[in-house]
Order: sequence, then structure tokens, then C-alpha cells
Amino acid sequence: MSSQDLRALVGLAIALVGGAILSPLLPGLIQTLKARLQGRVGPSIFQPYRELRRLWGKSVVSPQSTTILYRLAPSVSAAALLCAVAVVPVMAGEGSFPLGHDALVLLGLLALSRFALAVASWDTGSGFSLMSASRDLTFSVFVEALILIDITLAALPVHSTDLSAMVAGTAGISGWGGPVRWCALGAFFLVVVAETGRQPVDNPDTHLELTMIHEGPLLEYAGRDLAMLQWSSAARHWVILALAAEIFLPHAAGPLESLVCLVIWLVVLCAGLALAETWQAKMRLLMVPRLLVVGSVLAVTGVVTFYMGARL
Amino acid sequence: MSVITEVAPQHWQSACSALLDQKMRFLGLYASHAEGALALRAMFHEQAEPVALVPGERRDGDGERCRVRPFAEVLCEPDSGYRPGCSSSPFRVLTCSSAEGSFGSIVHRVPAAVWDEREAHDLYGVELKGHEPMRALVAHPAALNDWTVPVTGQGTNQVVVGPIHAGVIESGHFRFHAVGERILNLDLRLFYKHRGLERAAQGASLERAIKIIQRACATDAVSNSLAYAQACEELLGLWPTKALALQRTLLVELERLYSHLNDIGAICAGIGFAPGAMAFSSMKERALRVNHALSGHRYLFDTIAVGHATRLASEKAEAAAEELEALRSDAMRAWREVLFNASVQNRLKGTGTLPRKIAQRLGAVGPAARGSGLKLDARTFSARLCYEGFVPLLPEDPTGDVASRMAARAAELPATFDMLKELLEHVAHPPALLAGTEETAPCSPIGVGVVEGPRGQSVCAVESDGETIERVHLRSGSYANWPSLAYCTAGNLLGDFPLINKSFELCYACVDR
Repeated sequence: MSSQDLRALVGLAIALVGGAILSPLLPGLIQTLKARLQGRVGPSIFQPYRELRRLWGKSVVSPQSTTILYRLAPSVSAAALLCAVAVVPVMAGEGSFPLGHDALVLLGLLALSRFALAVASWDTGSGFSLMSASRDLTFSVFVEALILIDITLAALPVHSTDLSAMVAGTAGISGWGGPVRWCALGAFFLVVVAETGRQPVDNPDTHLELTMIHEGPLLEYAGRDLAMLQWSSAARHWVILALAAEIFLPHAAGPLESLVCLVIWLVVLCAGLALAETWQAKMRLLMVPRLLVVGSVLAVTGVVTFYMGARL
Repeated sequence: MSVITEVAPQHWQSACSALLDQKMRFLGLYASHAEGALALRAMFHEQAEPVALVPGERRDGDGERCRVRPFAEVLCEPDSGYRPGCSSSPFRVLTCSSAEGSFGSIVHRVPAAVWDEREAHDLYGVELKGHEPMRALVAHPAALNDWTVPVTGQGTNQVVVGPIHAGVIESGHFRFHAVGERILNLDLRLFYKHRGLERAAQGASLERAIKIIQRACATDAVSNSLAYAQACEELLGLWPTKALALQRTLLVELERLYSHLNDIGAICAGIGFAPGAMAFSSMKERALRVNHALSGHRYLFDTIAVGHATRLASEKAEAAAEELEALRSDAMRAWREVLFNASVQNRLKGTGTLPRKIAQRLGAVGPAARGSGLKLDARTFSARLCYEGFVPLLPEDPTGDVASRMAARAAELPATFDMLKELLEHVAHPPALLAGTEETAPCSPIGVGVVEGPRGQSVCAVESDGETIERVHLRSGSYANWPSLAYCTAGNLLGDFPLINKSFELCYACVDR
């Protein structure tokens, strides 16, 4: 086994451990920090694990009218997220493994998870699930465009949509003198907020059916299915935040150094989300696309600047 | 005592119109059984000045904080005792009985009577000619056409919420007609927890019935039971002593305080602004503890009695005053945080607008009415409490949206703190009995009491021979405001409904009764 393969294996192992096992710590950390900021004691950062254990031990209850689409959705969503976790590289200089690190594959996997849940909401026929799924899909038009342009911005300098190439290409602090990286970073902050379902886009704490976005399709699920969906949501936090830390935020080039950077940035990003969620109220629903368009404009500005920079 | 006028069924509509032409304001309407026939009673009161504020008009008393007459001064005056005659009562009751139970509807003249008439139809089988279509309110027919407004058109769909909700919310069913996210119409179905309290009180003694009335709802316990007590006292020809009036004013203001703190916090929670929600709910808790220290009950239950005072822990008054002083500075600071948060104000401004004219037509009361610019507050005519010189407090910019309903509450907080501080100095006075007559013979067959509670005026009518209740009717502020809530929801986004709902913070229980 070559050292390249070994590195790939280690990288994959770290990604799986981080994404699959440690990812519930991220929403846990956000909840704890939020509680402290609001003057409450709040739950410990391990609370999501307790939730998962509790739900995992419960049997699944499905509405009578549902079909296989509804029952498959949690597995499909969780499987898509597990693959996504493997696709996101966690270390700089990591070799590639058979699944590859293609950014478009990652986008496809995230979309697959969303699609599975939307189909399941349609299957239940529950008004609130459908309403939330419809909102989610409407916003996803804007979010996916935004991610795509933003990823393009990171891909342009390295001439590749391979994420590990992007990680290597964006390492160091050399690129931060120009406006391109800043545009990419600004745009990706909006991706983080929208994809993790945090305020001002969505309120993860709400129990008001009429205002739900990401919570809505989960309304009918129970037991093990719900555990899978909650894990998927935590894994989504990992994927998006790791992407932000590895590509869009400044990071080191060496494998170990980049790991340290990743951990630091994850904590900082969680704190940032907790802070934003504390001081921002939830946005008016129809204002969200506008916010996301602002992000897209920022990313497009970055692309234009990149080409102008290349010509000059 | 209130002026009671009996009219013939054929003159019912014209008599009501005549009273309204004299600038009387509609308080409520209810049905009753009277000697084998069905009777309708409509309550009105004289309003001293027009309630609608002319745009741009300067409000009198701007810049002042506490507008009521100093309580020390009130206490120094001798008790006037029994006030005979009806010259002092601002209330008018029109009654009308008909063996067939058929009356003309007044809903076209008084749109505010729409729920009252529907309830009288459902519970007493009163036929109201001209009220078309008579949609069910208390009754729950299965057919949608019997209780909802039909909506047709391309792309309209119905969104159904409740009566069982995802959170700890009372039972209420909301049926939205919407196009996408935009609400076209909202139909309400309440009365899931109709307990028949008014019926249960029939035949009970005046003393006992107050327990039943009070349990209509916890958060309006004082205002509802005080409205009842005042109705009984008016019926019996009793007038409160100054000390008793002070104690009752204190209780009403304590109820207003915790309620307003709760409501402002609830609006913050409705938009996911957790720091505001947390700050105000912790302050509400502190206010509840003050209530507990003073009265022995967090929600001030059993603090009102017919004809006499209850004991308040006067030895705790000083500590309570200190706590309220601390609460005041915390509340004002938290309010500024909410006021100057752009993301919060962005959500509140222009959401759920209740125009002034509609508020007046639909008979909105309390902070909802004042948020729409109506200078309407039952404290201005509460002669049985200590509110001499009270001027309704309106928000800076009463546009009728969620922001101004919230500001209407915040505007009242300083005055309430001022009054409470002064009132607590006088709570040490010994519990006072009512000044008045020894005789308990009823002065009038119907008594009316109106108290400005946190959600608006509670109106209570009592019919009695002086011993037992023949009919009691409670119309709380929530009851008056539900139609306004349904009106101002139309045109807003589905996702904003919980927020609009919370800006009214109406009670289901005292509507269901």
C-alpha cells in the first residue's frame, strides 16, 4: 500500500469519525452556547446524543396512508449524508479514494436528501409537511445556485471541481490579499445559515407548525426514523461547516495543521451561528430568497473579479 | 345602578339604533330566559369623548407619566357611602322579550355584536332576523358551509391548524384559505372547552358564583371576577369604600403587569427572538412571585369577593414595592433592546394591520384598540375603582400593526409601575368592608360591571333577586377581540399568523366559558 493510499484511508477514517460520530456535537454546541447567551443554563453539548439514543430505542410508527416512499426517506437521507461526509475532505494533501471528492457529487447528495424528504412529505399528504417541503424546495433553488457559483469561485484557480484540489489550492494566506476569497467567504456564510436551517432563515426551536421549514417534513416521523433524520441534520451541519473551514476560511497546508484549523473553525463557526441566532429574529419568509440572491450576487462579483484579475 | 329599558320586539332594532345615535357604545349582548319567554339584553355605556383620535392630534397629557389622581388624596376623602339613584351609572341596558324568541338583528348597525348574536342563536335558539348567513359559533356542525366563509378561485387551498397544536396551546381550530403563502380568509372555531360556566352559576348564591366566574380563565381572573363583583354590587346598591377601591385597583394593575410582561415576551418568541422572550418571561415569573407574596396565589385567584375585601399580606408590601422597582428598570431596559433591534422591528412593522375604522366597527378593546389609535380604556369610566383623571395611553405611532399593539402594552407599563408603587404604600390599610346599605334588597334586577383587564374590558352582567343568580353573562376582552384578529390576518403570510395571534394574545378559555 502506497503512502498516498494510506493517507487517503486515514483521511476517510477521520472524515467518517468526525462526520458520522462527532457531528451531533455541532448542534449540541450551538444549543449550549445559545442558552448561555440567553441567560439560561441550557442542555449540555451531549444532548443530541441522548436524543438519538432515546429515539433509536423506540419503534417506528408510520401513518396508515403512506407508502414505501415515506418509509425509505430517512434511510435515503441518512445514506446520502453519510456519502456526503465521505466526500468532504478533512485534511489537506489527502489522497483520493474511489468515491472521489467531486463538489458536484456533494451537491447532488445534498439535493438527494432534500428530495427524499420532499417526496415523503408528499406521501403523507400532511398539510404542514407539504407546506414546509414546498418552502424548502423554493429556497433550495436559490441556495443551490448560490453554492454552485460559490464552489465555482473556489474551483476556478485550481481548474478542478475536486474538493481536495480546492483545499490544497486555497491553503495558506496568499489569496487573501485580493477580493475573490472575501467574496467567496461572504457568500458561503449565507450558505451556512440557509443549509443548516438556522436563524434568520429558519428557527430550529420553533413548535409553530405554520412557520416551519426544515422541521416540517419531520413532523410525522417517530422513533428510529426520526433518529436517522436528526442525525442527518447534524451531519449536514458537519458537511457545510467543514466545507466552510476547509475551503472558504483561511487554513494551513499541512495535514495535521489543517486538522487543527478545522477543529478551531468548527468551534468558531458554531459560536458565530449561536450569536447570530441570538441577536437576529427570524426573517419574514418571503425575504429569504432576497437574502440568498444577495449572496449569489456577491459570488458572481467574485467570479467577475477573478477573471478581471487574470486579464490585468 | 344601570338604567334598564324594556322595549317591544318590533322596536328592538330602533331602540338600539337610538342609543347608538346618542353616542352610546355597545358593550355586549346576550340572551336570557325570562318568564317562559326568550329575552335579549343589550348593554351600552355613555362615552364621554370620541374614542377615535384625529390623525395628527396632540394627545392631552403627553409627557406625563402617571395620570391618575394621587391615591393618598383619594384616601383622605370621606367615603361617600351609598349612592342612590342611577345618575352615577354610565350603563344602559335594553331588554326585550318575545315568546317566539324572534328578534331583529342589530348586527348591521353594530358589527361588534356579531359573535354575541351567533352565540345567542346557538345556545338559546334565538332567531335573529336579518343576520344572514347565521354561521355557527358555539355549535360545531360538520358541514363546512355551516360555519366558514366560502372561498373560491384558482389556486386557493385550505390550511387547517388545530384544535390540537404542536405546542402547549389551548384548543382552537383555525381554517385558512390561502393562495400559496398569502392568507385570503381565516375562519375560527373555538368553544372546544365550553364548560357551561354561566349555566352552572345559575341558581348559585352571589358569593358562590364568583368562584365559577373566576375560573373562566386564569390570566383574566381578577378582571373577570371584579367585573362580576361590581355587577353584583351595582345590583345590590353597594358602593365600595376608598380603601376597597384602592385594593381592587392594586389587584387589577398587578394582573395587567404580569400579563403585559408575558405578552411582550410572547411576541418576541413568535419571531424567534429568544433573548427578548427569555428576559420578559423571567420578569413575568418575578411578577407572579410578587403576586404570590401579596395574595397567596400566583394568578391572584380568590382575591375579589362580592361586597367585601380579601386579606392581602400588607407586611409584604414593602418588599413587593422594592421588587417592582427593580423589575421596572429591568423591563424598561429589555424593552429598549427589543425596540432598537432592527430584525425584530422589521418583522413587526406592517404585519397584521388592524385599521382604526375596522377596530371601531368590530368593537376591538384593550391594547388591540389602542394600538389602532382608539382612545378606548374602561379605566376612564371605572368610577368604582381609583382611576380618577386617567387618560388612555396610546403608542407613539398607532398604526394598528403588531408593532403598535406591542408598543401599546409597553406604553402602559410605566404608568402601571407608577400606580403600583403608590398603591402598595396604601395596602397596609386594614381590609375594608363596603360602605353602603344594611339592607340587601336588590336595587335593580340587572347589574353591569366593566373592568379594563390586560386584554381589554371584561363586561359582566348579573340578573338576580339579590340572593341567587338567575342569569350571569361574561364577555371578556378576548371575546371582543377575536373577530378583529380574524379580520387583520387576511392578506398576511401564513408564517406570520402565529405572530399576529400572539400580538393579540387572546384567551380561549374565557371565550369558551
